[in-house]
Order: sequence, then structure tokens, then C-alpha cells
Amino acid sequence: MRAFSSYHPSVLLIYFASVLLITMFTTHPLLLAAAFLGGICFCALLERPRVFLHSMLFYIPLFALIALTNPLFSHNGETVLFFLSGNPVTFEAFLYGVAMGAMFVSVLHWFKCCNRIMTSDKMLFLFGEMVPKLSLLLSSALRFVPLFQRQFVKISQTQKAMGMYSQDSYVDKIKSGSNVFQTMLSWSLENAMDTGTSMRARGYGVHKRSSFAVFRFAKRDAVMLALILVLSACTLSGTFVFGEVFAYYPRLSKIQLDASTGTACVAFLILCFLPFLIEMEEKLRWKYYRSKI
Amino acid sequence: MEILQVENLSFRYPDAEKCALDGVNFSVNSGDFIVICGKSGCGKTTLLKLLKRELTPFGECTGSICYMGNQLVALDADITAGGIGYVFQNPENQIVTDKVWHELAFGLENLGLPTEVIRRRVAEMASYFGIQEWFRKNTYELSGGQKQMLNLASVMIMQPKVLLLDEPTAQLDPIAAADFIATLQKLNQELGLTVILVEHRLEEVFPVADKVMLLEDGNLLFYEHPKKMGEYLRTHMHEMMAGLPSAMRIFEALSGEGDCPLTVKEGREYITKQYDNSIDRLEIPPYEHKDALALELKNVWFRYERDLPDVLRGISLKVYEQEIFCILGGNGTGKTTALGVAAGLLKAYRGDVLVDGRKIAAFKNNELYRHHLAMLPQNPQTVFLQQTVREDFAEICTAMGYKKEEREMMITEIAGKLDITNLLERHPYDLSGGEQQKAAVAKILLTKPRILLLDEPTKGIDAHTKQLLADILKRLKADGLTVLIVTHDVEFAAANADRCALFFDGEVISVDTPTAFFSGNNFYTTAANRIARGRYHNAVTCEDVVELCRKNMPTVEEK
Repeated sequence: MRAFSSYHPSVLLIYFASVLLITMFTTHPLLLAAAFLGGICFCALLERPRVFLHSMLFYIPLFALIALTNPLFSHNGETVLFFLSGNPVTFEAFLYGVAMGAMFVSVLHWFKCCNRIMTSDKMLFLFGEMVPKLSLLLSSALRFVPLFQRQFVKISQTQKAMGMYSQDSYVDKIKSGSNVFQTMLSWSLENAMDTGTSMRARGYGVHKRSSFAVFRFAKRDAVMLALILVLSACTLSGTFVFGEVFAYYPRLSKIQLDASTGTACVAFLILCFLPFLIEMEEKLRWKYYRSKI
Repeated sequence: MEILQVENLSFRYPDAEKCALDGVNFSVNSGDFIVICGKSGCGKTTLLKLLKRELTPFGECTGSICYMGNQLVALDADITAGGIGYVFQNPENQIVTDKVWHELAFGLENLGLPTEVIRRRVAEMASYFGIQEWFRKNTYELSGGQKQMLNLASVMIMQPKVLLLDEPTAQLDPIAAADFIATLQKLNQELGLTVILVEHRLEEVFPVADKVMLLEDGNLLFYEHPKKMGEYLRTHMHEMMAGLPSAMRIFEALSGEGDCPLTVKEGREYITKQYDNSIDRLEIPPYEHKDALALELKNVWFRYERDLPDVLRGISLKVYEQEIFCILGGNGTGKTTALGVAAGLLKAYRGDVLVDGRKIAAFKNNELYRHHLAMLPQNPQTVFLQQTVREDFAEICTAMGYKKEEREMMITEIAGKLDITNLLERHPYDLSGGEQQKAAVAKILLTKPRILLLDEPTKGIDAHTKQLLADILKRLKADGLTVLIVTHDVEFAAANADRCALFFDGEVISVDTPTAFFSGNNFYTTAANRIARGRYHNAVTCEDVVELCRKNMPTVEEK
């Protein structure tokens, strides 16, 4: 699953930003359906099948919960299905709940994908362009956290094997925890000092720093970026600018398939399935290569 | 051509009575490989830091250091930062960033070089040092050897003319250390890089060194070709002798004359030429041990997590009372894990661990660690929790419930034994690696254990301290202590163990007395044994070889 993530970080960031923003601010059922399906398909590709199916045990109840609770609290809408302890439960409120549930679940899925693809080094690279010092700080922090955790475990174990703080009482445990933590503070300072010396030894602060990255903005990145921008622009102009706002209350608007809404929906569908299509294309291509060998 | 010239260099730390360096004079030619040795605290690191302007410690400094004919202090920051590279002892702390590629680029970023130049140099370095396979990894996932190689590469990427290294292999296992030294030699040979190396383990570095410098109490005692070192030490009865390569030690102990051998190959040639082998073996008295078992592992299986592979695969081991038992073996074979299981820190999922014939799970609360069993981990830093070494010692004494009057005496006694009295008031983290190791051993011994587990106790300490440690262990053994040591140090095991075992693939493969154990191995054995192999049997330490040579008449040679 590397075809999509191999694009330049800035392209990826813009992609996720546009999909997430459109999904969060639209209420149009067709757009939401596109975001929902696209997000789930992409996520299914990124995750291991077992993990993905397992996560569904969380998302399906979540979806149902949102879809079913909305009509209990919102009584707008004309089509009354039945009365629940004197309050009308409406068809429109139910559909709105479904739409919100779909929106919520798809946003979560897109965030999950984004998390998988935008790894720390990519984020650092993006911020490093803007604030070089911040990126260096983050980078050394990212190195430090796992070291800190490891050292904490090591010290605790060592102390235990010397017979310190190894009683089964809570007082002892709290005492040990605070003592070890104190030591960790001086250990951190010590570590930071060594790192500082090493930085100085390698000329930190001599010049204005330049920033190196393993990422390169290639032609395919430009093409992908243009495609993403065009598709997002079509979606935005078709729905938010020229199209009519889709209303759930008091009565569902009709889904109009005029030119502008039509293009918007098609454009957003393509946008949401872009990573999925890229991955699939790559899969097929490799299959083809292999069959040729 | 002289690349570094040091004249009358003296240095005194603030508030110190004695000078750390006292009128040192020497010069280094371009392309030299120089090894600096000496006891811990002799001023090696201070000298090295003075040569790197960015690291110059605070204090009173007189004399001059010239780099390529110019005063070091007057040079541009660019030239000193890039031109003189420095690698520290601890592989962990000198890494700055989280990704290998970023770490490589760090120095060049500091010099403000454009991306294209950095890209090219990074690629070059990664290829030269064999970093390609882990180029995109996180730095904290690397092994110690890889980390130190990365540190070397990220200094070399700045294209220094002089490379300074402060005990770079002290924290590495012997295979990674040999790799590292070989890389240094390659850099020296292929690029003509000037290398100045502070080192305790001289076995590998002596054959490649052009000159050896011996420091003592801030004075330069000796600065010549390594072959002449033996003679100097012999005539001055110097205690550094114990740290020399085996071939040299044998040569000097036999008061050899002529060309001093440095390598195993030269050592073999020497004894073959000089001594016959009519008496070709040492008689080894049969090994006697107590009947009682101090520690027993019975078919122990262990893995860290359910989905991970087994680390211990049915290991069985018997350690008798009052025995020094060494477990040897390569990296990642599970030696440290086995020690953790024996110490009750890790729980085996199958099999039993018996301490004094009792199942380890039967020890409730901290009963196991009260005068029963104690463990010294690989990283001595983790032992200390307090502001000074003395406070740390006092804390453990309190925890062990010793009487107040007793405490002071015990601390003074143990500090005297390990030669660390002068370190008692210092912060544990300010000590050097070797000093930390000694203090950690002292703290462990204050618990008065009956079974002592040591993980790599000789890591990073000099030959003299090693001998001190061995003596203490032997003395305590006579008082009833059982010691289980996990180590890479074959020389230490050969000289001090009662029995040795080879650990491989999660199991103990062979257990035997050191003589039988090392005589039976071909590769995994001491240098002395490799020198004597084929000529003398049962000779595993330098002393054994010397004894056998003495028994045999020197072959008369016509000159």
C-alpha cells in the first residue's frame, strides 16, 4: 500500500485537507455517500483485514447510535412516523441522523487514513519548511520519547533487583514511582546536555540552518496536485457556490441532478476514490508485470 | 606534514587542586593513527576535548594548539566545526534526530549547505558505511553498533581532516567493536584521515596504530610506535601492562628481545621460533564444586509477548554454590533475558527457576532480594537514584536495614575495596563510564547478596579496574558468594570463571571449565589460546602460555 503515500507530503496534506473539509461541511447525501464509501474502501486497503473487520464492531454501533438518537431529540420534519411518549418521531430527523452518522464515521475513517499516511517525518518536513527550529525540536522530541520510556522501565527493574521498592505495598510503589521519576528528570537533563554538546560539535549555530529532506516534488506530484485542486474546485463550486443547499427540514429537498450538482458529485466521488484507484491500479500493474516475467 | 601541534599544554578545571593536563607536548602528522591510553581519569578525555574547540571545557588553559599551522582558537567556526570531527563514548546520547537520514544530514544543515549538495553527500556516506538498509529507520530502533556507526558517518559527512574518538567501542559488544575499529582503519588507509582514538581495548587497535600515547596524571609518559610500548612498560614496571594485547604481554613476560609481536599471527611466530614444545600441556586439576545448587534453570521457555518468537528455548543450567559461572555468546542470543528470568524480573511461561532449591515464585514480597540475590544490569546508570554516590549507598543500607553505626563503616570499606573513595561525593551521572561501573558494583555488593548476577560487568572499564573487580569477586566467593556473569569478554571469563557456558539460539550449548571450554573452541576463544593453539594444550590465558614457554627450553638460535 505504498503508491499513494509515495506522493509528496504537501500533495498528501492538501488532499486530506480538502476531503476532510468538504466532508465536514456538507450535508448533501450524495457527497456524504461518496466520502463514506471512499473512506471505508481506502481504510480497508490500509489496514489488515482482521483489524479492519474488528474496528467495524465499533463503527457500526456508533453509526446506529447517531442515526437513532437524532430523531429522539430533534422533532423537526413533516413526515411523522409515530409518537414516542407524546413526541413525534419524524422521517426527516431519522434521515438527518443517518447523514450525520455517515459524516461522523467517514471523517473518523479519513483521519485514520491520514494518520497512517502522514507519518511523523512527513509532518516534520512540512512544518520544517515553515519553521526550521520547530522541526528540529520536534524531531529530537520524537527521538527522546521512546528512549525515556525504555529508561524508565530499566531503572524500575534495576531497583527491584537490588531489593529497593519491591514490596507489595502501595506506599512503597508510590515512593518508588516518584523516586524513579526524579531520577528520570536528571537523566533527561544529562541526556539533553550530551545531545547539546554533540550538536555544537557538529557546528550547530554556526550558520543559518538549511533544511534537508528526502522528499522531492516531482512532475507526478504536480499532476496529482492539479487534479486534486480541480476536483475540489468543481465540488465546491457545484454545491456550495452555485448549487442549492440541501435541506432536511422541514421536508427533504429533492436531489437535483442538474449540471452543476451532477459535476460536483462526480468530481467528489472521483476525489474520494482517488487513493483507492491509485492503489488498485498499482496492484493490477504489478500483477501484470509478474505475469510477464 | 604536521596537522596538529600541541605545545606545553596545561589545563586545570575550576576548583581543582591538580592540573588535569600538565605541560603536554606532541605533534601529529597528517594521516597518523594514534591511540591514547591510560587509566580512567588520567586526562585522556580532557586532552581530546581541548583538541576540539567547540567542546573545550571551562577552566584554566595554557600552552598552544596549532591546527594546520594556525592557532586553533583563532580559526573560523566553519573550519573547526567541519575540519575536526568528534565521536563520543555513549552511542545513544550524541544522536540528535529521530530518523537516520536526518541525523546524517544534520551537520551539513548546520553549515547551511543547499539540499542538492546534502543529498549527494548523504547518499555517498550511506553507501560507504553500509547504511542503505536502515537509512529510513528511526534512530532509537538501531542496535548499539549501528548507532555508533551512524555517529561516525554523521561526523565523517562533514569531511573532517582529523577524527577524535573518545572510547567509541566501550559500550559495544566485541563483534560490533571490531567492525567499528575496522571501519576506522579503512578510513585511515583509504582516505588518509588522521585518527586520534582513546581506547581501553588494545587488542584490535595496536596492530593498526602508528603511535601510542600513554598518559598518567596529566603527564605524557610515552609517545611512540606500539612495538616499543611493551619495553617501556616493562622497564618502568607499569600497571598498564595488563591492558596490552596478549601477544605483547606474553612477549614481555618472557622478557623477549627483538621485534615485539602485536598480533596473534606474530605471537605464534614468536613462540614457535623461540620455544620448543616438548612439554606440550598444562595439567589441570579436576574441577571440584560444592554439591548444593545455588541457582537452577530447568527447561525454561520465555518470550516477551504472545506474538513474538521465543527468546529462551528450553534452557537448563545449574550453578553450584560458591562458583563463578560465565555465560558467553553473541549479541541477541538471549543472554540478558536469561539473566532477567533468573533474577525473577521476567517470568518464564514454561519451566522452573530454583533459587537455593526453592521455586522463585515461592519468594514473596522482596524476600528474594534481601541478602539473597542481586543483579547488576548492563547500564550502570540505572542503579543510581540519588544526588551523590554516598547518598545512594546510604539509601541501600537503610533499605537493607543495617544499623546506623554499621552503615558508615560499610560504605567506607566497600569504597576502599573498589578504589572509589574519591568519588563518593560526586553525582553518579558525572562519573565516567568505568567509574560508574565500579560504583554500581559497590552499591550492589552493599546488599550483601549470596547470589550475584552481573550483566557485562567489564564493559567500558580499563584493565586495571577489571583486575580489581576480579579480585573482589574471588574474595567474596571465598566468603560464600555465587556469581553468575553474562559477558562478551572471553579474556575475563578465561581468567576468572570456574565454569563457562556458550549461549546460542536460546539455549546453553556447552558447559565446561574455562580450560576445556576455550581449548575446545576454535574461534570463540581467547587471543592467548589462539597464539598457543596447536603447540600447547590447555593454555587459555597469557599466564598459561608464559608458564608453558618457561617450562620449555628456548630453542637455541644461531645469530
